[in-house]
Amino acid sequence: MSIFLQACVNGLLIGGFYSLMGMGQNVIFGVMKIVNFCHGEMLMVGMYLTLLLSTHLGLDPYACVPLVAILMFLLGALIQHTLITPSLRTNSFTNLLFLTVGMGMLLSNLALVLFGSEYRTIPTSYSQTYITLGPVNLSLPRLISFGVLIVISIALFAFLKYTTTGKQIRAVSQNPVGAEVVGINAKRIYILTYGLGTALAGVAGALLTGFYTIFPTAGSAFGFRALIVVVVGGLGSIPGAFFAGIFLGILETMVALFISPSYSDLIVFVTFIVILVVRQLIIIRRK
Amino acid sequence: MLKVDGLRAGYGAINILWDLSFEVHEGEVVAILGSNGAGKTTMVRAITGMVRPSAGSVSFNGEDLAKKSSRYILDKGIVQVPEGRQIFTEMTVLENLEMGAFSKSTKAAFTKNLETAYRRFPKLKERAKQAAGTLSGGEQQMLAVARALIGMPKLLILDEPSLGLAPNIVDDILDVASSMARNDGIAVLLVEQDITKALACADRGYVIENGRIALQGSAHELSTNEHVKKAYLGI
Repeated sequence: MSIFLQACVNGLLIGGFYSLMGMGQNVIFGVMKIVNFCHGEMLMVGMYLTLLLSTHLGLDPYACVPLVAILMFLLGALIQHTLITPSLRTNSFTNLLFLTVGMGMLLSNLALVLFGSEYRTIPTSYSQTYITLGPVNLSLPRLISFGVLIVISIALFAFLKYTTTGKQIRAVSQNPVGAEVVGINAKRIYILTYGLGTALAGVAGALLTGFYTIFPTAGSAFGFRALIVVVVGGLGSIPGAFFAGIFLGILETMVALFISPSYSDLIVFVTFIVILVVRQLIIIRRK
Repeated sequence: MLKVDGLRAGYGAINILWDLSFEVHEGEVVAILGSNGAGKTTMVRAITGMVRPSAGSVSFNGEDLAKKSSRYILDKGIVQVPEGRQIFTEMTVLENLEMGAFSKSTKAAFTKNLETAYRRFPKLKERAKQAAGTLSGGEQQMLAVARALIGMPKLLILDEPSLGLAPNIVDDILDVASSMARNDGIAVLLVEQDITKALACADRGYVIENGRIALQGSAHELSTNEHVKKAYLGI
């Protein structure tokens, strides 16, 4: 029982990251109807940014989070303004596919050139600290990261729900023509959205550095899971992405515990396919 | 107030509107009539800056708006209720109305304009917290009109308000439009396929055929015109 609980908690703690990644992907997809294939690489960029900031400025990895968020927002805004917005005009899915996949390759290879292929960590005084809560041991950095990302998720939800800009983002994603009719500046919303999505991925990366190794392809596993989260949780649905991420994390940890860690990717993707097939069958049945 | 002169517009190599000219004055309801594919919606898009005209001028209170952005035109007071309503279905009624206020002046006057809109369409007040997609077709059309009113129009363009609605609801919406023209001095450009309803509400009208003005005149002249009777009213 205690092993089961422990796996649940570990799954929850890692699932939060899938949620955060999925929500960023979802905001971008909702507004521009594009799949951001370099979302995982943005997480990796966030990791290396945190590494740089903590080694050069001597900052604690968690203290880097606001700075990483701002820098990643600017990077996303720049990419949107110079590359994605012009490509959106072509109205071609393949164009944007190549653009975002290519951007991902560029970023991970750039990291390889700049930092080499070795695995890096940011050592902290508390990286091996555990808190015992009844039958469960909680790793302190994982717990802090989870707390921060819950706060960020709630903030994101509130931003989209209550602020004028958030409402405009929803308006553009629901009805671009209607948004144009009421004078919403779509280009501005695109820049904000892609910046926001990139910042969320970067922050996920920063929060991971407390307990995860940093290497040039560290983002891809998270990028793929973000896609699963978006599809399972529902395209465009922020709460859906949140819960799908948590579910995915718990599933993965359970498989690793009760079957074998080497099967966790396999089971995750099989479950994904099963969910897709079942959902499709339900849709057909309803019609 | 609005003077369209020699307007040409289209999409890419395909030209839809050919030298369209007409005028709308303050306090007037002007109908633009025509069947499907005559170019009515393209005309609305060209006036509101959503399609760039290739020639001609759209002058509004003396200023040429033909090369201006849709946001600039909206800010000048040309607000449209688009074809197909284009409301935000997963947002609440109130949020939809908030989206209608995009400029500083419309934001500042939002509370007052919201009250006016609720007074004209009490149903919307009852359903303020409901998702717009759960409203009936008629209520959604009312919402689209109310959203435009929040934008404080000097010229209100209604694009096919009758589409898919019960006749009595169309009457309600046209009543609101004409009462605003009579009492508040705004101009209404009513773009319609339903010629009987449009001419019952309008002061004057223009008939568009194949992207050109084929006929013009007072509502009475048009409804008694032989060509209109034959081609559009089936009499």
